Amino acid sequence: MLAFALRRAGSGLTLVLVISVLAHTLLALPDPDVGRQLLGPAAPQELVDEHNAALGLDRPLAVRYADWLAAAVRFDLGHSWFTNESVTQSLANRLPVTLSLMGGVTLVTAVVSFVLGVWAGVRRGAVDSAVQAVGVIGYALPSFLITLIMVIVFAVQLGWFPAVGYTPPGVSLTGWLSTITLPVLALSVPAVAGVSQQVRSSVIDVLGRDHVRTLRARGLPFPRVVFRHVLRGAATPALTVLAMQFVGMLGGAVIVEQIFGLPGIGAMTVQYTTRGDIPVIMGVVMVSVLVVVVVNLLVDVLVAWLNPKARLS
Amino acid sequence: MHTRAPATPATAAAGVALLVLAGCAGPPGDDDPATLTIGTMTVPQSLDPADAMGSAAPYFQAVYDSLVRREPDGTYAPMLATEWSYDDTLTELELTLREDVAFDDGTPFDAEAVKANLERFPEAGGGQAHTLEGLEGVEVADEFRAVVHLSQPNRALLYYLSDAAGFMANPGSLGDGLATAPDGTGPYELDPGRTAIGTTWVFERKDEYWGEPLPYEEVAISAFDRENALVNGVRTGQINAAVVQEADQQSVVRSEPGLESVPQDIDYQGLILFDRDGHLVPELADRRVRQAVNHALDRPTMLDKLVDGQGELTDQVFGTETAAYEPELDSRYEHDPERARELLAEAGHPDGFDLTLPRMPEIVGEPMATSISTDLAEVGIDLEWDELDPANALRAVFTDQAYPAMVMNNAQPAEDWVTVAELVLPGTFNFLGTTDDTVGELVREIQNAPADEAAEPARELNRHLVEEAWFVPFYRLTYQHVSDGNVEIEPQSGAAAPSLYNYTPAG
Repeated sequence: MLAFALRRAGSGLTLVLVISVLAHTLLALPDPDVGRQLLGPAAPQELVDEHNAALGLDRPLAVRYADWLAAAVRFDLGHSWFTNESVTQSLANRLPVTLSLMGGVTLVTAVVSFVLGVWAGVRRGAVDSAVQAVGVIGYALPSFLITLIMVIVFAVQLGWFPAVGYTPPGVSLTGWLSTITLPVLALSVPAVAGVSQQVRSSVIDVLGRDHVRTLRARGLPFPRVVFRHVLRGAATPALTVLAMQFVGMLGGAVIVEQIFGLPGIGAMTVQYTTRGDIPVIMGVVMVSVLVVVVVNLLVDVLVAWLNPKARLS
Repeated sequence: MHTRAPATPATAAAGVALLVLAGCAGPPGDDDPATLTIGTMTVPQSLDPADAMGSAAPYFQAVYDSLVRREPDGTYAPMLATEWSYDDTLTELELTLREDVAFDDGTPFDAEAVKANLERFPEAGGGQAHTLEGLEGVEVADEFRAVVHLSQPNRALLYYLSDAAGFMANPGSLGDGLATAPDGTGPYELDPGRTAIGTTWVFERKDEYWGEPLPYEEVAISAFDRENALVNGVRTGQINAAVVQEADQQSVVRSEPGLESVPQDIDYQGLILFDRDGHLVPELADRRVRQAVNHALDRPTMLDKLVDGQGELTDQVFGTETAAYEPELDSRYEHDPERARELLAEAGHPDGFDLTLPRMPEIVGEPMATSISTDLAEVGIDLEWDELDPANALRAVFTDQAYPAMVMNNAQPAEDWVTVAELVLPGTFNFLGTTDDTVGELVREIQNAPADEAAEPARELNRHLVEEAWFVPFYRLTYQHVSDGNVEIEPQSGAAAPSLYNYTPAG
């Protein structure tokens, strides 16, 4: 198991390195005129050139990447070209916001999806049809629309939750819950729609297998068959879909964070990408890739634990 | 304050810095009358005065005082300078300074500080460095008297000294440190522990301030990416005050009971014709062609459909509060495609001509692009839009000088000379250096006349520019200064962002 985990971690690190090269190259290729953007249209060209040189933009791309990498391995991601903020500090401020959002969505999605999926897979009939219908509707509704409706109804009209902002759990747990609930619910709707359908299909599939029929024929109580044996078999594909949802959430977080004014890395991504602030974008890319690698690693290990055959692949 | 922001542990920083907007956690908060929370879409590049800009003024006014204070009506009042006077040539401005002001580390504010700050400003290369172009130097006449020497009169110097160029930092801190650790004599100091740069800035009132303290113990400025989030924050009382620019969000604000809003016509939107001499598009060298472009645009429909009627039609670039402004010039060019075609024919272009303009989607959305293209096509001008990405748009337009015109939103400051310097003199927005004898003569007259005699030539210059169709303004945009009802906001003449001094508790 340890060798399996180390193999996966090694591939993850290689992926981080490859993506850092690709991201740095792709970001630098359009050659954003940072000096002109910073100094404005009125600045003389010599001053703009000096500013670009001070940022190292007159050096070859490979040298710039090597410098960035040498600093990054020491956890120094540089400073924003546009706001002078330390990228590391800025990510440290913003990452907990996005992670708590994604963590909350994953928790809600896992619980609700397993309940709905198992219920639909076991009961079938009208319950199954209803869960499938809810899934299709949840999948079809754009998440920005769900988000806007939630803000208007629950924050602005009813005043149950704040419309904007974020409170860290370390400062106030109730404050955190109040600021995170609506964004989590908004992002959970499409995630639940997708994962619950996967759980339902897997449960139906496992229920039809020979070993489950044998267990039921031996007279084991049905709930015990479901919770001890069916769920274990159904969990593997469901976990994979849940992990994919988690990774995909980074994209959904961009919109939700902007609508709720959450100071997370999703909102930061849009803001800085349009300006070509390479140090910040590289920081965001690296953090995102690391999150994806870590989540995939955890899922791989979990799946391998649930299904030893997976370790051989 | 003379310390760099400490590198606090990540969790602590996140813990304290991000709670600002939360509805129920800790200060500053919406229901705390001692705290003012301003929402904005503007993020300052840094808190170094060299990087200051008018739209981010409140960030800087919290921690720095300016030499001259600009009142809400645009008049000038003493601040760090108590008196000022020009010599007869208008190239020497003598400033008499307050004698009871010191920086936090005890360094006195004096003429040496003024010299250090003003002489650094144009050298530091910030976005407003050009406003002190022509500064020859600052003479220290005595401890509290400084004389600003100019190579030629700068009629907007007091305006600039009440703006970015006038913010005074501790001479001992001038350099990179100011970017995140501002060191001025202002009424507040930055709380680095509760500030998350790029998102939220928290300023605490200083224990000792030389002037009248501002009414709030604490000021928090929170930056947003989307205006609907900003407006939702005001609707729920998490934000006390904000400027709302988008027409649909203004409509939300107006329909919301409990919110107070004050309208202000401020920026104008329109085409700046750079190529009036026909270097890129020869047809534009003819005044009749430029006038035809003005007649071709259906401004009333644009105002109605593109910005929901939130603005005033105009054909002039000078703002309503300037001496140059003339109300009748707002309707010089009626929408008249027939007249436009006649003018084109008279100029020898009965079949029109081709035009390519840059399009930055955040300024020219699809509806505006289509509207302008359609109007121009109706008179035979075939317009093609080049979509530019924001990272390279300025280079393409101003460095490469690749386009003959551009749609822009421009501020309309109350000071005539700011508009003359920005739009009329050869330079940034007149980078091809268009001029003529009348412009040259009137500019010289405005520049050198005593203040009370400059109004008439300014009006004459305005009339001349409109007649020569140097510009194609569409309308002045109306913005709403909106508050949650707990704050009174007094708009700042000629600026979209009210000064920090203009916020007071309601009632």
